[in-house]
Amino acid sequence: MKTKNHNFWALFWAVLGMLYFFVPLYGTFDFSLRMQKGVLSFLAYKAVLSDPLFLASFRYSATMGVITVVVSVLIFLPTVYWMYLRLPQARPVVEIISILPFIVPAIVYVFGLIRTFGHPPLDLTMTPLKTDILITVGYIILSMPYMYRAIDVGMRSIDVRNLTEAAQSLGSNWFQILFNVILPNMRIAVLSGALICFATVIGELVLGEFLVRPALGPYMVDVGRDQAYQPAAMAIMAWGLTWVCLALIQIFGRGNTSQQLTGR
Amino acid sequence: MAYLELSHINKEFAKAAAVNDFNLSAEQGEFVSFLGPSGCGKTTTLRMIAGFELPTSGKIQIDGKDLTFVPPNKRNVGMVFQSYALFPNMTVAGNIAYGLKVSGKPSAEIKQRVDEMLSLIHMDGFSGRYPSQISGGQQQRVALARALAIRPRVLLLDEPLSALDAKIRVELRQEIRRIQQQLGITTIYVTHDQEEALSISDRIVVMSEGRVEQIGSSSEIYNFPKTEFVANFVGQLNLLPVDVVNLTEGLVRVGGQMVRTSQSLDHMNGHAIRLAVRPEELNPGHREGENNLLGRVSTVTYLGPVVRVRLEVEDRLLTIDMFNERRLHVPMVGDSFEFSFHPDACWLL
Repeated sequence: MKTKNHNFWALFWAVLGMLYFFVPLYGTFDFSLRMQKGVLSFLAYKAVLSDPLFLASFRYSATMGVITVVVSVLIFLPTVYWMYLRLPQARPVVEIISILPFIVPAIVYVFGLIRTFGHPPLDLTMTPLKTDILITVGYIILSMPYMYRAIDVGMRSIDVRNLTEAAQSLGSNWFQILFNVILPNMRIAVLSGALICFATVIGELVLGEFLVRPALGPYMVDVGRDQAYQPAAMAIMAWGLTWVCLALIQIFGRGNTSQQLTGR
Repeated sequence: MAYLELSHINKEFAKAAAVNDFNLSAEQGEFVSFLGPSGCGKTTTLRMIAGFELPTSGKIQIDGKDLTFVPPNKRNVGMVFQSYALFPNMTVAGNIAYGLKVSGKPSAEIKQRVDEMLSLIHMDGFSGRYPSQISGGQQQRVALARALAIRPRVLLLDEPLSALDAKIRVELRQEIRRIQQQLGITTIYVTHDQEEALSISDRIVVMSEGRVEQIGSSSEIYNFPKTEFVANFVGQLNLLPVDVVNLTEGLVRVGGQMVRTSQSLDHMNGHAIRLAVRPEELNPGHREGENNLLGRVSTVTYLGPVVRVRLEVEDRLLTIDMFNERRLHVPMVGDSFEFSFHPDACWLL
């Protein structure tokens, strides 16, 4: 009797949670289909996708996202690896540094960047290319907590020291160890970090706005200010994109989950 | 000069000595075990041979070449780890082939060598499996094959059987010895399991607190231990305080009972002396011409093939191991018990 009661409440809370998630989503989706009065249509989606400004800003943010992911992996993977291997005592300090972007507000951070690097000799806000370099560095810092944590969790799931020493005894240099042994065994962790990192860049508003770059975040704010149905359509598309990314992680990570569990 | 030469090796961690003046000469094809309790420096010494640790002072030479400061990936020394350390993202064949691929060997040669190694470890049908799909014992055999595939100058094994269950451990240690003898590869084997070391080694290095206590064959280590630590660590040992009766005749007294030894006591004059004798050297009953002592049974323990009897002899506890035969008369607790041992069976410390 007690178990039956327990099962009922478990089900109740699960259904309530799903309703909390799906009802607003359904509402947004329904609203996005009502651009044409009295008819359900994908007109809002068509309007968004045919807007050259949307495509340009999406292309820009996606490119920045990919660059940010690649540079972040190249920076954080060797750093966290070295910390696990040789400097485990530095971990508390690195953990604190990794959460600094949560503590410092983005607006403070962007003004700091502009004041520090927008002046001679660097002048990083003077040309679009230089500003893109500055904004990429900014994105890397903003997404650092997610990328660091994902790699940290991945490192914890494998026996870094023994795998490294085994590879060394077989003649591997550091580059071969990192890219033949460590990285393939952290594929899911790195993919997860990459997805969150990419999503952060795609939705980021403050850096794009104040560094005056054609990013998707400022575009969405502009559209939301002037139009009604297109922002709802974009929210649904963003939600769909997230699920596509999660599916890709599952596909690329499939078959390796059990292998990753035996590293230790 | 020997094939593997460790000369005056010292290693300190934060000014604490982990290895102290370690010296060893191993011939090509020899199987040497480092035996000792946890923290005695045996793994640290092995890691210095592999190049994962640098000695604070001393020299490591293999085949006449000084490798003391050569990085581990340039030493051509194979290593097998306690935790297997197989690469989880690679198949069995991929793991074995890894070292050969890194060294740039042609693919035909790699395939041939992988097949050879799989055959050597009797795992021909397992090339496509991942480490997670094979048992612990099989994983360790793959780790051994992976280390041997690069044809290393020396093979190092760091407690390779510790994570396995007892039956697999016995099988695999015989397998390791067979492969080592078949390939004739110089091998250093770290273990804290005396039975393991005694059963497969050409020579054993017994270590304690970073120092070498004794180097010798299994028989030398077990039957003729040079220090009290070795005598106590390898096998069971009874130690009884004795009083010297006659130095030249090797006659001592345990309480009120006389014991004859075959050892001269001249050099022990004035020192505290203890009689050392292994439990399996003591026989129940009276035997003419041997040392015969009387005690009282304190406990009786069945250990399967052996019955262990604890006796009180002159207020000291002493252990006797008797083969558990069906016709064995097992004494009762509190019984008076006479036992004997040959003068050659005991020695004095």
